Amino acid sequence: MKRTPYFYLVLFISKLVRFLLLKLGRNATNFPGELAIWLCRSFIGRMPKPEKVVCITGTNGKTTVANLVEDVLERTGADFYCNRNGSNVYSGVASLLISNSDWRGRPTKKLAVFELDERSSNLILPYMRPDIMLCTNIFRDSYKRNAHPEFILDFLNKYIPDGVPMVLNADDMMCSELKPGNPRAYFSIARQPGDGEGSRNIVQDVPACPRCGGELKWDFRRYHHIGRAACKDCGFSSPKAGYTAVGLTETDMEVDIGGESFRFPLANSAYINVYNSLAAVALLCELGLEPGKIAGALGSVGISATRYMEEEVNGRKAILHLAKGQNPVACSRAFQNIRDYPGKKAVILFLDDFFDAQHTVENVSWLYDADFEFLADGSVVQLIAAGARHWDVYLRLLLAGVPAERIDHMPGTGGAAEVLRPGEPDSVFILYDVYTIRLAEDTQRLVVERLKKEAAKNAD
Amino acid sequence: MRIEVLFPEYCSLFGDLFNVKYLQACLPGAERVDVSLREEPELSGGGLVYMGPMSERTQEKVIKKLMPYKKRIGELIDSGTAFLLTGNALEVLGSHIIREDGSRLEGLGLLPVYAKQDIMHRHNSVFLGEWNGAEVTGFKSQFTMAWPTEGAKGLFTVKKGVGLNKKCPYEGLRVNNLFATYLQGPVLPLNPCFARGLLEAMGAHGAELAFGGAAQEAYKARVADFYSKVR
Repeated sequence: MKRTPYFYLVLFISKLVRFLLLKLGRNATNFPGELAIWLCRSFIGRMPKPEKVVCITGTNGKTTVANLVEDVLERTGADFYCNRNGSNVYSGVASLLISNSDWRGRPTKKLAVFELDERSSNLILPYMRPDIMLCTNIFRDSYKRNAHPEFILDFLNKYIPDGVPMVLNADDMMCSELKPGNPRAYFSIARQPGDGEGSRNIVQDVPACPRCGGELKWDFRRYHHIGRAACKDCGFSSPKAGYTAVGLTETDMEVDIGGESFRFPLANSAYINVYNSLAAVALLCELGLEPGKIAGALGSVGISATRYMEEEVNGRKAILHLAKGQNPVACSRAFQNIRDYPGKKAVILFLDDFFDAQHTVENVSWLYDADFEFLADGSVVQLIAAGARHWDVYLRLLLAGVPAERIDHMPGTGGAAEVLRPGEPDSVFILYDVYTIRLAEDTQRLVVERLKKEAAKNAD
Repeated sequence: MRIEVLFPEYCSLFGDLFNVKYLQACLPGAERVDVSLREEPELSGGGLVYMGPMSERTQEKVIKKLMPYKKRIGELIDSGTAFLLTGNALEVLGSHIIREDGSRLEGLGLLPVYAKQDIMHRHNSVFLGEWNGAEVTGFKSQFTMAWPTEGAKGLFTVKKGVGLNKKCPYEGLRVNNLFATYLQGPVLPLNPCFARGLLEAMGAHGAELAFGGAAQEAYKARVADFYSKVR
């Protein structure tokens, strides 16, 4: 797109605003871009781009995958910039282009990694053609923003440019069908012990063959629609992957890459994190990094503490676990992780949407798409629901089959740690939304104190 | 008591199947019959026929599937079989849907209403209405607005929020024992009074609500929140 004098004026103003915001101690990761696009709608299109642009999108895991990719690139000496500390919508992307350019807009680095909110793709991708694009998966998400998965699939198909090489999840029949004409590489986790054919989840976003609507025969269904299947009618099947995790342990995964076997460290062995690590490996390999170098760099990389953090207290644990509100699949994954975690567990649920709780009545329909049934397991000895919608969570837990005597619930979040019965669980999980990390951290401190007191009492 | 669930594999986008699960919890002896889109509906009458919201492409398939049963569905409605339609399932039985490109998708023509899509402007809102003297709460998240035509009778009177369209004083439609609402998700567990009314319409007189105490408290808290937070 042509760079007019007006574009350069907008760039100058945006840079000036960024400079002033930084002087005021603000992070300036969003507003300069928002201002630039408000003044010049095609601003992203007019800005010069780095030589290589990597985009990472998908319903779940995109932030973790982007962080892993960025950590590996950093540890292998790549010179790049990314929106790790900023927003993944159009204004964040524009702000990043502004902050990593000179006064004429020329990029200061040759490589950029962008995590993209899939719902913002219409405002970004027509103006910035990725050199490679990864999609982690496609699930139903916030009903308000994302409507339903078919809408998101259509949306991405419409706005991802033709010809862009894709890295896709072969175990997700919706994701693997993205941009069918584009070159592609797939990643997959081979059938593991415990993978069955049945469905244990409420949400099934691929109920039939995505091509003809015929009945699917599942080789295995790991969770929701993640698994491998073939259509009984048209023969369409999950694609063969070039990057297949064939063996998993608690600490690493063995990945078959074009017939050669490589081992990569895992920060966490829950399937969602294995998929995230595998997606990052596949993307980095497609970018030309050697598997051995990726493995070496991944060894020192962990999951962001804002998403999962364990703290040990005399052999027991207080665990922060992100469970994105309004996202039934992300919450279901968290609930299953809790059920599968060894020992007895107590769970503090902060599931309210932070903004809705303050200003309106949160749409609680999503609670009924999330698999609270995992929390009815006998190993979950106490559940504490706190927040504006605590009665709704309580009702949902009852309908999930959780005995009433295991549930405490209250409107205020401050008292959640106080009703914990610290003598019973081996681990206390604190589930929280992206915007309530501070509340979760404060609660974790209180839980740790209570576990310490309990340990001291037992020692006496 | 028979509960026939039409196309549950497709028609449950927002936790809607808990309407049926809740009825099953209220009526432990009820028989639930799930009809896949690959199968033919039974429409045997009595009990309840339930259909939830679906994607726009699925809507076309569902209309095609049900069109041969139009007369039978009409007979069931006339004879007082209970129906519950949530989300855009209402549109399937309406007269037509005007797509975004202006083209027209004919519905079954059993309900006096038509809908118009606006895919790039999704409507999201919270809703408080009145039904049989009690308040009903709910949530709307949809690509369409609907316009009732002659003879339409609303289901809920709007107190706060948006009805069938932004100017319509009522939400949803009622024909005999057919209850159709754009409210999405688990309308029944969230509204004990409406759940009781539907159970009566199904012929389950005096049935106890499952977890009635908790449902009532959750409902009361939500209604109070509506009054304090929603203008």
